[in-house]
Amino acid sequence: SVMDEGSALERYFDEPIETTQADSGFLFEGDLGLQGTPQLQNSSFLSTLSQPEKDIGEDLDLSFLPDDLPEESRGNAANVTQDSGLFDADRSEDFETDSNNAMPGTSTFCPMTPMTPLAPVAESSGIIPILQNIVSTVNLACPLDLKSIALQARNAEYNPKRFAAVIMRIREPRTTALIFSSGKMVCTGAKSEDQSRLAARKYARVVQKLGFPAKFLDFKIQNMVGSCDVCFPIRLEGLVLTHQQFSSYEPELFPGLIYRMVKPRIVLLIFVSGKVVLTGAKERGEIYEAFENIYPILKGFRKQ
Amino acid sequence: MAAVGLKCPECGSLDIVDDEHYSQPQLVCADCGAVVSEGLLTTTRSEELQGTDVRYSNSTEVNKQPCRNQIKGIHRVRALCRILRLSFVMEETAENYFKQAYEHPSFIRVSLQKKEVLAGCCILATCRQHSWPITMGTMTCLLEANPKLMGVVYQEMVKALKIEAPPTSVIDLLETHCQAYKLSPQHVHEELSESSKDLTKRAAVLLELAADAWLVTGRQPVPILTASIYLAWQSLKPTQTRLKYTLARFCQMAKVAKSSIAPKRVTELKEVLCKLGQELPWLRGSEMTPQTVVQMVDDILNYRLTLLRKALKSHEAALASESELPPSLEDTQPGPRDDAPSLDATASQPDAESAQQPQQDVDLTCTVVMGGLSRAGSGQVSTPSKRSLFEPPSVTHAKIRRVQLPVKEVTGDEEISDSEIDSYIRTPQEMRDYAEAKEALSSSEEEF
Repeated sequence: SVMDEGSALERYFDEPIETTQADSGFLFEGDLGLQGTPQLQNSSFLSTLSQPEKDIGEDLDLSFLPDDLPEESRGNAANVTQDSGLFDADRSEDFETDSNNAMPGTSTFCPMTPMTPLAPVAESSGIIPILQNIVSTVNLACPLDLKSIALQARNAEYNPKRFAAVIMRIREPRTTALIFSSGKMVCTGAKSEDQSRLAARKYARVVQKLGFPAKFLDFKIQNMVGSCDVCFPIRLEGLVLTHQQFSSYEPELFPGLIYRMVKPRIVLLIFVSGKVVLTGAKERGEIYEAFENIYPILKGFRKQ
Repeated sequence: MAAVGLKCPECGSLDIVDDEHYSQPQLVCADCGAVVSEGLLTTTRSEELQGTDVRYSNSTEVNKQPCRNQIKGIHRVRALCRILRLSFVMEETAENYFKQAYEHPSFIRVSLQKKEVLAGCCILATCRQHSWPITMGTMTCLLEANPKLMGVVYQEMVKALKIEAPPTSVIDLLETHCQAYKLSPQHVHEELSESSKDLTKRAAVLLELAADAWLVTGRQPVPILTASIYLAWQSLKPTQTRLKYTLARFCQMAKVAKSSIAPKRVTELKEVLCKLGQELPWLRGSEMTPQTVVQMVDDILNYRLTLLRKALKSHEAALASESELPPSLEDTQPGPRDDAPSLDATASQPDAESAQQPQQDVDLTCTVVMGGLSRAGSGQVSTPSKRSLFEPPSVTHAKIRRVQLPVKEVTGDEEISDSEIDSYIRTPQEMRDYAEAKEALSSSEEEF
């Protein structure tokens, strides 16, 4: 009835903005005494707080998943070509309740290949972050004459007064590399780990063709950046109050909220529009895990 | 054996050994015990000429006195606290933080500039913890520091000392901000003057409305404060004189700094007010424009809850009628307006019985449930044209993104064709041209 709607609206307006989220029942049932609880240092535990009534063991029941993951792909997200070990066995130790469903120690679950589960997974967001940038390094293991490279290569830039490295670009995969005289190289701009590796190999081949005995040693992914959209606006002022230990929200400095997740160690930039940027991962699975951790927290800030 | 060839002057033996007497190195004869030489200083000649300074912080002094800069810093903290008229407790807390931070390894070696800013950051953190409203911008002005440096040092300090300082909410900042506006009768003409109390009250309501309509989150606080106060001032006495005052002129009159962002906030706030004002029954169908809305602000704010309800209703009705336009898609029966068609992505509530279930609150923000949880098949998250009445402006004016090329499937171990690599290498002719051009360029630069 109209009257009931009205009273709900009035209550909504009567509550001061900054305590609207903290006091509302849908996030926390009563006062949980946020400060000082050691459990709360673990952000993966926090995700379970959004459903306080449920047994944590229920959330962890992944036994419905088949052992072989089917090769489905969805949208324009890249398929996973490697096991990313999303929910590690370690996670089971973080939850201090006794779970009657033992986490299979070696099974890995990757939401990258989504499938319709037999039992609906309440936690799964159905949204998959898209990788936007991969930074990797490799050692070409030979000293390089940067001037000679800049002379011989079409796609190279070298301005020693500004920066002590050659900036080289290739078209496919569309990437940029910084090549140092020590033989070390940084490759940026790829959208997947394999693309980054292919690009790095191409740069190494160019350097080889220019007359240097380049090798391809210690290729390592240093950073991965992903982004996605939860498609609802988020009250950042409320989020920073309820998750003070992890969040930093300074509208005078930056419009987004900086959330430093502890496990996995990922930094998330959360914006009012609902867009989320995740960075600091060394493996793709960390990005997915971080998003699955933050999604219930963000959902809790949506008005029901 | 210390030195070959040394002979003891007493007994003539060659057996001279290195010995230390209270860490003073001595050359002693092993047979008769005569001291051949002693008191060699341990420095080399070069060290004597360039003394190696030991930093005070590295020295072995037991009871370290605070260094001069630390003392100066503490004085600065105290001075700023007095200027801001903070309580004694807050002053002590700020001093403590400063002492801790100064001696923290991440701050002991930084530049003097950073240490000066550190003083202000400690005070800022203390103010926030005690709910004392102050913006970072104000502190930056007081310190005459670089705002970026202030931000960096503040975040480092909070991390290093592991303190929690919740950011001040915009509403709290309103009162102090309002007091800066010189609008009392002794400053301006009576027609234009307004008491700080009335202004604050009206601006607070406008600010709350702005915050609920997503105009505040993620944005600089000061422009929205200025915008609220300006609109409050205009709407408290919406005479032609006041309405003619632009924001710039208003700021000049009130002796307050101008801002380039505040006019945009004024426009946004007026839009929100229009959306509500449109529902006023005594408008009788005429358009509510940003020009005419200011006179009605009084009414709008007094009845804003009712207006909000009505606005949401008409918004839902508009969405429902919009979705009924393509009849080919319409599989469901064209029932009453409240039933949202389930197929259309622009539908409001996915549970069509929302109108009949009053306990489900009508939600200001997002009326579409994402995540495909309540819908069986449709996992696709589409972006509806107008999902809700109020949205953050960054959503309404979304950036048009460059078309994302589909990610190529790559294993990383593919064969790399020679021709592709050759395409990145210059031909000998090109190299000659490049070298010549470079020389020509560098020689012409030398001429200057």
